[in-house]
Parts: sequence; structure tokens; C-alpha cells
Amino acid sequence: MLVRAIGLGKTFRGPDGGPIPVLDGVDVEVKPGEFVAVAGPSGSGKSTLLNLLGLLEAADRGEIWLDDVCVSRLSRRAQCPVRGRSIGYVFQSFLLIAGLTALENVLLAARYVGRSRSDAQPAALALMERLGVAHRSGHYPSQLSGGEQQRVAYCRAVLNGPALVLADEPTGNLDESHAAVILSELRGLCRERGASVILVTHRADAAALADRTLRLRAGRLESGGGEGTT
Amino acid sequence: MVGIARLLPKNYLFTILGIAVGVSGLVALGAMAERITRFIDGGDRFVLGQISVAGEGMGMGTGFTAGGLLRASKIEQIAQVPGVAAVQAQVMLPLNPTTSQFLTLTQELILGVDPAVPMSNRQFRELPVKSGRFLRTNDRGVVVVGADFAAGRKLGVGRRIELAAGRTFEVVGVLDKTLTAPDRFAIVPLDDARDLWLRRDPLLVQVFAGGAGGMARRDLNTGAAVAWADGVDADDLARRIQAGVPGVNVTIPGELSRLLRQSTAFFSALLFGIGVLGLVIGGLSLSNTVTAAVFERIRDFGIKRALGATDLQLLREILGEALGVSISGGALGVGLALAIGTLVDARVLRDGQQLFLFSPRLLVFAIAFSVILGGLAATYATLRIVRLSPAEAIRRGT
Repeated sequence: MLVRAIGLGKTFRGPDGGPIPVLDGVDVEVKPGEFVAVAGPSGSGKSTLLNLLGLLEAADRGEIWLDDVCVSRLSRRAQCPVRGRSIGYVFQSFLLIAGLTALENVLLAARYVGRSRSDAQPAALALMERLGVAHRSGHYPSQLSGGEQQRVAYCRAVLNGPALVLADEPTGNLDESHAAVILSELRGLCRERGASVILVTHRADAAALADRTLRLRAGRLESGGGEGTT
Repeated sequence: MVGIARLLPKNYLFTILGIAVGVSGLVALGAMAERITRFIDGGDRFVLGQISVAGEGMGMGTGFTAGGLLRASKIEQIAQVPGVAAVQAQVMLPLNPTTSQFLTLTQELILGVDPAVPMSNRQFRELPVKSGRFLRTNDRGVVVVGADFAAGRKLGVGRRIELAAGRTFEVVGVLDKTLTAPDRFAIVPLDDARDLWLRRDPLLVQVFAGGAGGMARRDLNTGAAVAWADGVDADDLARRIQAGVPGVNVTIPGELSRLLRQSTAFFSALLFGIGVLGLVIGGLSLSNTVTAAVFERIRDFGIKRALGATDLQLLREILGEALGVSISGGALGVGLALAIGTLVDARVLRDGQQLFLFSPRLLVFAIAFSVILGGLAATYATLRIVRLSPAEAIRRGT
């Protein structure tokens, strides 16, 4: 999927009501099958950029295009199936639902796009098997280690075969071996399935896996940030 | 319940308990209000079911037949008034003359009736007998007691009770609970009631023994209950009796009902207050609990929206959960109130009292109330949440 962001801007309000500009005029283009890392200091707008691209938050300015559809202009309702079918998210804090088992968390992705449980469950279990968490399918998140939770969250993100996967510091809470599994999976998504992956990371080794790295500073892309680094 | 429990997230336990506490308060207050309402309505139905007639003057009678002696000749005259279907002579006495008059709504009464004459009250053609039997023609020395009267004294069929010094009666029947005046009655044959009256009133004995006015034993009536023929207007008939039979006090059913309502206006206001209080306490507790439970899961809803859930899907999901939680909490609350009410009533029943009346309409209302309010609270909370972006919902819930 060709992802294009044109002139993205976002401003939050501070506790005193004053404006806090987070992103200002950011242009991004990610080609199908491309693995792009986003790096930058804390507060530079990396996560906000990912949230805007994933339609988790509305931009104040600019447009977001997925292929030839300007998804940022779609209605709230019309954006829901785009999020459900075309975009997968992997968050740093996993964001699993505590009251659901690991398998139910994975299957949640299928529920909102109209996939039946009978259709989705074999695929979910196969994914979990590949990630080494199938034996934990009946466990609740609190009964899983951090690495297992992230692998479950990854399964949920890719269950519907999204063309765009957004990963926000997915290895931030993991040890080296678990981080390697997740990064390898993300890399594989691009190579094997042609998905576009945008990875926010502080880790140099993670960024090194990417086709190129975008560097954000104070809400703006640094010049030359769109150039390939690997 | 198992099916519903399966649908609910595990962390809803405290929500259900919170709702149960609110609903149990609502049901308990409602049950007390129902109890008082039934009592007042029962009195109203009673006075609207018969025309009560007493002799002119003050007398020592009590209850609905308070007044002077109602002589047999007057009863015969009343029976001749067109529209009268039947007249039942009665003797109504306070069980304990020294205290009964202070608590007119709950006083214990001895009622003497002639079992050969059908009950004249249209609302109480037959008093429901729980055990034993009602009075029969030619019975003497026996009594049928109301439910509270029996419970307060642990009376059952076959037991004996002293209704006047040296005069005991065998209990032949215990009435079912009516939740109104007859619950505190001791009903005896008319002639026995006349004996009790004479034992208690030395002045009456002297007058009677002196043969004043040619009085006979059958003239010893504190009043009479008059039944009207079908199609006759009771209030009109009462006025015709008053006009056509001199020397009697006739209560107009409609007016008596109005007076009764006025005298119980305080209780009506109290009931209204209890009802409003119950609704406010129960309603606030329930809606607050459901709303808080939904807001507590704001992060989950943010995640679900990130996974593609529409507003409608979320609303349907939350409403389904709210329904399950509200029904579970409501049912548990009803059960809790029933348990507490039953325990309390078991304690106060020893004193012949009943504090709670868990009517079916109250229980249905409580469940419906919790479901509707739970649904509204969940809808309100959901509409607040879906206004947020998924990212904002996740941020707020983390």
C-alpha cells in the first residue's frame, strides 16, 4: 500500500489551555513493501505521527492518502473499516484487554471487520503457533510475560493481513531475544507479504533493519530524513 | 445466569455488587412503602365495601361502629329501607381498652358477628382462612384470629386465649394475612361478644339489669354493617338510611373514604418521600456504578476502536454488557432485599408485625428500573467515550 502524508500538522492544548505544536508540515511517503523507521528524541512527535497515519487521531492540518483514497477526509464511520482491514498496530505497552484471553485478544481484530470466529480462529492459532504463544492461548494477559504479550499483540495486529503495519516502540519493553523475534517478523511482513511497515524506535539495531529512517525533531522532519540509510 | 456470566468481563464483579446494593435499598424501601400502601388501601376498600351504622351518641364501641347502642328495632328498620340487601349486627370492642384507642390504625379489636348472616362487606365477602375454619352458626366460646394477632401470641388452631378476665376461647381458625385491619382481629360469635362487652362495662350491666327502656340482649350491638343491593349507589342509600331511620349514626362510605384518606395523608406523603428517596438512592447508585464501570474501561474501548470497531458496534457491545450487569445486579439486589426483609420480618413477626411487602409489581419494577437505568447510564458513558479519538481514549485509560 502506498502511504502518503502531506503537510501533516497537529497541535495539542496544554494544561493552561495554551497550544503545544507537536507536528508541523510533515510530508511522508512509504511505498508498498517498504520498511521505514522513524527516529528522534522524546517529544519530537514520533508517536503522534504514527497515530495520525493510523487514523487514531485526526490531524489539524494536512492529508493522509492510502493508495488513491484520502482517508483523512473520510467520515468517522468510514474510517473504522480502514483501521480494521488495512492498518495493524503494535504498541509499546501491548494494549491487550485484561478481561480476554490471549486467543480472544487476537480474535478481537476479526470481530470488527465482520470475519466469523470459525474463519478467523484457525488463522489466529496458526499465527500464535508461529510466534510460539499458541500454548498460552487460554491465558489472560496478566498471566503472560512481556515478550509473550507483545507476540500476542503482534498476532492481533496482523491477523487481518493489513497492508500497513504501524509499530510504536514495539521492542521498548522487551529483552534482546524477544525484541529480535518481533523485529524479524516486521521485516518479514515487508518481504513476504509486501506490507508497508512504519516503525518508531530508539534502538539503532532496529532502525538498521529498516529500508530508510526518518528523523523527527521538534515536530519537523530533518532535512534529508527521507533518504535511505540502509 | 451462567450464560450471562460468561458474557461479562471478569472485572464486573464489583460493579454487579455495587448495583445490587443500590437495588436492594430501592427494593427494601419500596417493600416498606408497599406494606403501608396495602394497609391504607385495605382500610379504604373496607369502608367502601359497606355502610357502617352505629347507635346515636358516643358509647364505648370502637372501630367502624363507634357510637351508642344500636338496638335491634333500629336494625330491623334499616333492613326495610329500599336498596338494603342485608344488615349484620356487630359488636366491636377494643381488646385492650386502656391502650387500643391510642393507636387507632393498628389497634387489636374483638369483633362479634352472627355467622348465620352473610358478611355484609362487598370487599370482604369471606375472610380468608389460613388454617382451621371460620365461625359457624351456633358456635360459642370459639374465636377466629387474624394473622398478626395469632403470630404475636403464637396462637394456632386448638389453642386457647383469654379475651376477658376468666373467659377463655378456643381458637378454631387463623386468618390468612390481609395486610390490613382484620390481621389484628379476634372474631367471636355475636353472643360471646355481647358477654365480653357486659363484663367490661359495669355501667352497661347496671343499665341492662335495670331493664331501662325495655332493652333485651339482642339490643346489645355497637353497630351494624349494611350491604346494598346491586346497582344501588351506596352513598345515596346511606343518606336515605340516615334520613329514614332516626337515632342512628350512618357513615357515608364515600365520605368516610375521603376522611380516611385525609387522616392517612401523612402516611401518603411519607410513602411518596420513601419512594422518591428509594428511586434517587437506588438510581444514583446504579447509574453511577454502571457509568464508572464503563469509564473504567475507556482504554479497552480505545483499543477496540483502533481495531476498527464502529460507534454502533461499541454501543451494542456495551449495552449488552450493561444489560447483563444490570440484570445480574438487579436480581442479586432483589435477592439481597428479600433475604434482609425476610430476616427482619421473622424477627418483628413475633410482635405481630410485618414491615415489608415484596409485591410482584415491586420486584418487576426493580428489575426493569435497573435494566433501563443501566442501559441509559451505559449509553451516556458510551456516547461520551466515542466522542474521543481512539488515541485519546487509550491515553486517558492508561
